[in-house]
Amino acid sequence: MLAEKYADRIEKIFSKYPDKRSAIMDLLYLAQEEYGWLSGDALEEVAALVDVDPTQAHSIAGFYTMYSEKPKGKYWFQVCTDLPCALRGADDFYQALCEYLGVEDGGTTEDGLFTVEQVMCLAACDRAPMMQCNFHYHENLDLDKVKALVEQLRQEAAAAQGE
Amino acid sequence: MTETVTFYIDGQAYQVAKGTNLVDAAKMHDIDIPVFCYHPKLKPVGMCRMCLVELGSLSVNRETGEVERDEHGEPVFRWFPRLQTACTQVVTDGLAVRTTTEAVVQGRNSILEFLLTSHPLDCPVCDKGGECPLQNLTMGYGPGESRFLIDDKIRLDKHVPLGELIYLDRERCIQCARCTRFCDEIVGDDVLAFHERGRRLQIVTISDPPFDTKFSGNTTDICPVGALTTADFRFGARPWELQEEATICPHCPVGCNLSAGTRLDRDAGGKKIIKRIMPRQNEWVNEIWICDKGRFGHHHTRAEGRLEQPMLKQNGAWVPIDWPAAYDLVAAKLRQYGDSLGVLAGPSLSNEDLWELRKLAGLVASEPKLGVWPAAMTGGDLVAQVGVGSGTMLRAVGPETAILVIASDFEEEAPIWWLQVKQAADRGAAVVVANARPTKLDRYARAVVRYRYGEAVSVLNGFAAQALKDKSLTGKLSESRVAGLSQLRAALKGVKPAFGDAGRMLLSAENLIIFAGGEGLSVAQHRELMQAAANLLILTGRAGRANSGLVAVWPGANMQGAYDLGYSAEATQALLDTPPRMWIIGAANPVAEDARAARAITGAEFVVATSLFMTPTSEAADLVLPRQSFAEREGTFTNGMRRVQRFYTVQGIIGDSLPDWKIFAAIGERLNGPKARISAGAVMKDITAHVPAYAQASYPRLAQVERQFPLVGGDDLYYGGTAYFNLSGLGLAIPPVAEDGSAQLEVRPVTVDAPASTDADLSLIPVRVLYDRDVLFEPSRLMHHRVPPPSVELNQADAERLGIADGDRVAVEGDGYQITATARVDGRAPAGYALLPVRLSSTPAPTTPAACTVRKIGE
Repeated sequence: MLAEKYADRIEKIFSKYPDKRSAIMDLLYLAQEEYGWLSGDALEEVAALVDVDPTQAHSIAGFYTMYSEKPKGKYWFQVCTDLPCALRGADDFYQALCEYLGVEDGGTTEDGLFTVEQVMCLAACDRAPMMQCNFHYHENLDLDKVKALVEQLRQEAAAAQGE
Repeated sequence: MTETVTFYIDGQAYQVAKGTNLVDAAKMHDIDIPVFCYHPKLKPVGMCRMCLVELGSLSVNRETGEVERDEHGEPVFRWFPRLQTACTQVVTDGLAVRTTTEAVVQGRNSILEFLLTSHPLDCPVCDKGGECPLQNLTMGYGPGESRFLIDDKIRLDKHVPLGELIYLDRERCIQCARCTRFCDEIVGDDVLAFHERGRRLQIVTISDPPFDTKFSGNTTDICPVGALTTADFRFGARPWELQEEATICPHCPVGCNLSAGTRLDRDAGGKKIIKRIMPRQNEWVNEIWICDKGRFGHHHTRAEGRLEQPMLKQNGAWVPIDWPAAYDLVAAKLRQYGDSLGVLAGPSLSNEDLWELRKLAGLVASEPKLGVWPAAMTGGDLVAQVGVGSGTMLRAVGPETAILVIASDFEEEAPIWWLQVKQAADRGAAVVVANARPTKLDRYARAVVRYRYGEAVSVLNGFAAQALKDKSLTGKLSESRVAGLSQLRAALKGVKPAFGDAGRMLLSAENLIIFAGGEGLSVAQHRELMQAAANLLILTGRAGRANSGLVAVWPGANMQGAYDLGYSAEATQALLDTPPRMWIIGAANPVAEDARAARAITGAEFVVATSLFMTPTSEAADLVLPRQSFAEREGTFTNGMRRVQRFYTVQGIIGDSLPDWKIFAAIGERLNGPKARISAGAVMKDITAHVPAYAQASYPRLAQVERQFPLVGGDDLYYGGTAYFNLSGLGLAIPPVAEDGSAQLEVRPVTVDAPASTDADLSLIPVRVLYDRDVLFEPSRLMHHRVPPPSVELNQADAERLGIADGDRVAVEGDGYQITATARVDGRAPAGYALLPVRLSSTPAPTTPAACTVRKIGE
């Protein structure tokens, strides 16, 4: 449960806002960070923390694209393919990435590690092709760089599993 | 007086109160600005863009400060370059609007064309067809044809249940957010919301139970399309087939005005039946809202099992007899047992019924004992003294008014009052909730006062003692006007002012309304509570003023009427203490609800009961007379705020049933009483002649109406929704005695009985829930999933001590009763108490606090 595991962080989040209800977005991020995605249970948990109906948490998670209400891979690649990025080859890069991972647009790899997705502007047009991996930026990408990243993440995941 | 401003619509000058919304201001002068998302009871959001108009302002010369005028002397306006939403505009001095220009016409036309791109145009099979704002506004302002490519149409789910009562058609939704805003702003149950965005925007609920609010039906009234429909009415009839009849809700003391949509129905053998219940506008009472119990709880009017003939018990078997034989029999028994007669009047008997019943009892007994049922609350006579003053309107109260709700689970007992008090709190009224346990209103209260069950009086005494310290409040009182003043002052001297903050809030506001329930109190204790409330109101000079006074949250629709006509719970108690040999029970079910009453009634020699169904009380009677439900007859109810309201004949009569007043009058005739009146109106005329408080309450007076705002229904469907325009009467508020400046008032010191300590484990506190198994509600099957199973709420500590967990089956036992129920350990019950929701099982339980033991039983 978030309330026990992250008591301090939640307390800190609440202290930023005039009332509990306002903290819902931060807490939804926390839940997504913890569970990988926002399941019905996670929404209920967050709603209970800020004392609103779960429907409101569901609504907010639905409105903002950076919340996911579907299960995601451990690593979530969001590639910007808006016009400026596409001019710098983001489209081709995205195609190549999908092919390399063997997934469709928006799909998740069979091992459940990687999800790829096209997103709108991430405000780094000058360093395209670029993507977010779990909200961290990776810029000036090409297929080799991303292959290296994927490899590194696979090892990290394997190591984490081995523990 | 409020400040007025002058504004201009299409060149014509109009005046309106400062701060009025532009759409409302135009409407007040009968000018339509079409809207979908805007609703006069909700805050504006400017989402649908239907209300686009040209806005401008008077052109003022900057040097002279004078309004510029053209060669004809007409004022010159400056116009904004683009269309703006009227609903987000507040009227200011010199504001100008153009609503008929080419640009505005095109704007509306385009918005409708956009809205219709995703709308299914299934009007011929849509329940809203015929009373649909989208349909009407399209006819009025929309394009005749669509340029949209049908292949690009979004197809979405239809028949999506948002809970069991309301269905959503996603294709029809035009995303106006009226339903979500109603739930959020007005009710405070944020159980509906939008999901996704843009063209994928959809209404969702994941609350548990789904669409978890007691007011869900109202969203279908204000939905401007057929997206939200009720499970009760969908596919039931077309709106234009319905004949609307005015009636009053028989379920609770609020007295919501209803409109019953009726038609001659094949499924009812061609009889005229109720197809749906809608709110009927009465801004003095329910505005344009009703709760789901009122909307869906009408099925008893035509349910299976309705009694159709008088039934006589002969050798243990029921034999139908005709009415004259029944009258003769009761008359004969009254002659025999007249000196030992008990009368019990149920909560949904009309004033006319109560009057004829009282007259009948008076024919055989010089001082008949007239009891009410349920006999859990009392003090209607005090409400007559210090009830709310003329001109009281809950929807209008704000910071100048304080509201105290004491000993009541308000939302469960009087949902629409709860809704209005919640909104008053939102507007700044100081709402104070006093109860022994948490209730939902606590959330909106400025202060919450907790006391121990049985000690509610001490809270009011504390406030009164605090008031006495403030000479500006109590200095002007004179002994000549208020009897018992010096005794009360003396008695309160020893009382320490408690709950200082709550008291200050209540006493510093100009007005004070006290809603007093009966939770956790015996009848005698409740008398003391009502007296303490009256003391407080009189002491502070709050009695007899508009938006000030005492209201009892009765367990029924017409209990205030019963008190006004001489009935009381004290009489019931006296009857139960020394049971009479004969009972007349009108429209009540005491045998199912109270163990002690069950014993007193089954032990009598002759019991006659009027009833809709064969209830446990009917079974215990010797003669059962079929009464008509509120839908088959005329009558009046007096609501908790003492507004006398008429209800009209709505549907065809079931069997040979008769209205109670006719039955009692016919029996009276056989006892040489006066000839029975021919109509309920004539009975009311007798009441007006004999009951001074009701002198003005003649049927024609009760049927008077006045122009109400916001406008609803008819041509204003798009504006106020499908609630019905009131053509049949707003009723008459009976002023309290205290309103007469020369009337003598009386105060009396009241003390707290220390709760009797018993050897029993726990004290049982009967509590009221909205959705119960009352005979008027049980037949509404679609509500059954909302009726909780018989349960008893325990405190965590008590539950642990007794080895009981949440969800366990338990037996609750005490003197003369035993109930099995599901244990609930949810933090609401104070330690030492077991809360028992009443009317959830047919096993009789106490209706007032009693000692009990609770133990776990096997599966």
